[in-house]
Amino acid sequence: MSAVIGSSDHSGRRSTPRAGWLVAALQHGYIWIWLGLFALPFVTTTIHSLESPDGGYSLEAYDYIFGTFKGNLLTSFQVTVITIIINLVISIPAAYAFVRHDIPGKQFLLSTLNLSLYTPGAVMGLSLAITYAFLFHIPRTMTGLIGAYVVGTFPLMLVPIIVALRDLPRVYEEAARTLGAGRARTFLRIELPLLGPGISAGILLTFVIIFNEFLVTLFIAGPTTTTAALRVYNLTRTAGFLPSTAALAATMQLVSFLVVLAFFKFFGSRYLKGTYLI
Amino acid sequence: VSKCGAAVARSAGDEERRGGSSGRCCVAGCLIAVLFSLIPLGYLIIVSGTNESDFFFGDRSFSWQNYERVWNRYLPNIQTTLRLATLASVVDLIFGYPFAYILIRKVRYRELVRTLMTFPLFGPLYLAFGLYYVLLPDGPMAGVLSFFGIKGTSLLYSEGMTLFAMAIFTFPFMVMNVGAALTNVDPMFEEAARTLGAKPWQIFTRVLFPLSWSGILAGFLMCFGWNLGVFVNRSCWGGLPQQRVLSLVLQQKGMTQFDYGLARRWASSDGVGLRRDVGVAEVLTRGVGGMR
Repeated sequence: MSAVIGSSDHSGRRSTPRAGWLVAALQHGYIWIWLGLFALPFVTTTIHSLESPDGGYSLEAYDYIFGTFKGNLLTSFQVTVITIIINLVISIPAAYAFVRHDIPGKQFLLSTLNLSLYTPGAVMGLSLAITYAFLFHIPRTMTGLIGAYVVGTFPLMLVPIIVALRDLPRVYEEAARTLGAGRARTFLRIELPLLGPGISAGILLTFVIIFNEFLVTLFIAGPTTTTAALRVYNLTRTAGFLPSTAALAATMQLVSFLVVLAFFKFFGSRYLKGTYLI
Repeated sequence: VSKCGAAVARSAGDEERRGGSSGRCCVAGCLIAVLFSLIPLGYLIIVSGTNESDFFFGDRSFSWQNYERVWNRYLPNIQTTLRLATLASVVDLIFGYPFAYILIRKVRYRELVRTLMTFPLFGPLYLAFGLYYVLLPDGPMAGVLSFFGIKGTSLLYSEGMTLFAMAIFTFPFMVMNVGAALTNVDPMFEEAARTLGAKPWQIFTRVLFPLSWSGILAGFLMCFGWNLGVFVNRSCWGGLPQQRVLSLVLQQKGMTQFDYGLARRWASSDGVGLRRDVGVAEVLTRGVGGMR
């Protein structure tokens, strides 16, 4: 069908192969120009990170990644991993309940759980900062940071698992139960492996968001919980965009992109439907 | 057979018990949402009725004065926020629709395009800094810009570049929503219209636009909602007029001047706007190709 559309002009007559080729080239060119614009900040950041004070190029700035910035990167990885684990523990049973059972007010409940996803970062950060300080009396530690991250990204884990669970026919569960498997065994041996892509999609989304999050962190992070993304922001505001800061920013983007690339390679975009990424 | 019968009976028993267990499955999620989302947002609205000294000295009287201050003093900020968010979303729509159309109808390497489209989604932080560096006189694109007669520093801190950065950040949201809507439009409709002699603009206005309307609206509202709250783009890119926006005032009032009452009021208006817009977008997205 697309071949027919591509080979006819707008008046219904057949276009010449040369004109068709030109139109196709313009269309693909348009796509690649935008893709170039998307990747441009990463490319320029990487180039800047390679610049040395003597005017040449070197990997000198990347020494900071394993030096001054190591603690910030470790904090980022640490909060990201803990958040992912908590999200998994919360989301899998919740998704199971939403798909397999009739819960009264299901849509309202789902909207309530999704509320934080649609709250601007500055609003969420400030509201949490005030609530922690004056209502909950939680000091600026990892606990508060992880609580904020979990509530902000829990829907991103929940939605792909719901999508995957809806695609999973109940006959597998019923067959296992008929053959004598208990509920826990059925879930762990049959359903959980089949939900793998959906769970991976949730992990991907949570990772991408938390690893690069700085705005909520700006409001609630303490001196010992400065993440790498927040460090990039703070350094740029105070010292300008130095090559060392660019090296940290480029590393963060590269790690995020590699995770995304691996996911698309293995699972495609199917399980990301309904999330804000696809 | 007896084993099967017992298993089926056990399964039936499980079904009966599931009403209670399904509720327990959601308890943890609900608890997190209440503690870290609903209570802070509710507290935010309560505190928006206090003023600075009240808040710190414990004598908390409530009034509408912060709301009056916002209206009287910061109306231009609201207008700037709305103008920039609207214009950036329009830019997204104008350039995003053809992108989505080509992506859905003409391109076979969609997974690659979707992968590369995630770059802006890593956050406006890297986007703003990367584009900022492009425009510097010693930036990596200085030669290219001068070839086209463009002076990078003249674009820096201009409204045009602020809009450009905002539009790049939210561009994927428009493409995803419009693309989802176009996926559900059968190419046969276009082909039929073309065969009947319709011009390209007629095909767009009479066939494609009405059939993909829900995706356009969803994409526009989602872009608008995110652009209302974009923080770092404006702080790095915008000149003084572009920095008079809700998110930056919120940060300044809340974190540097500690005027929590007024900051709360800002947060209330910004947050409600985004939730309403993106909430509508979410519903429409589900209808056109999202989670059913």
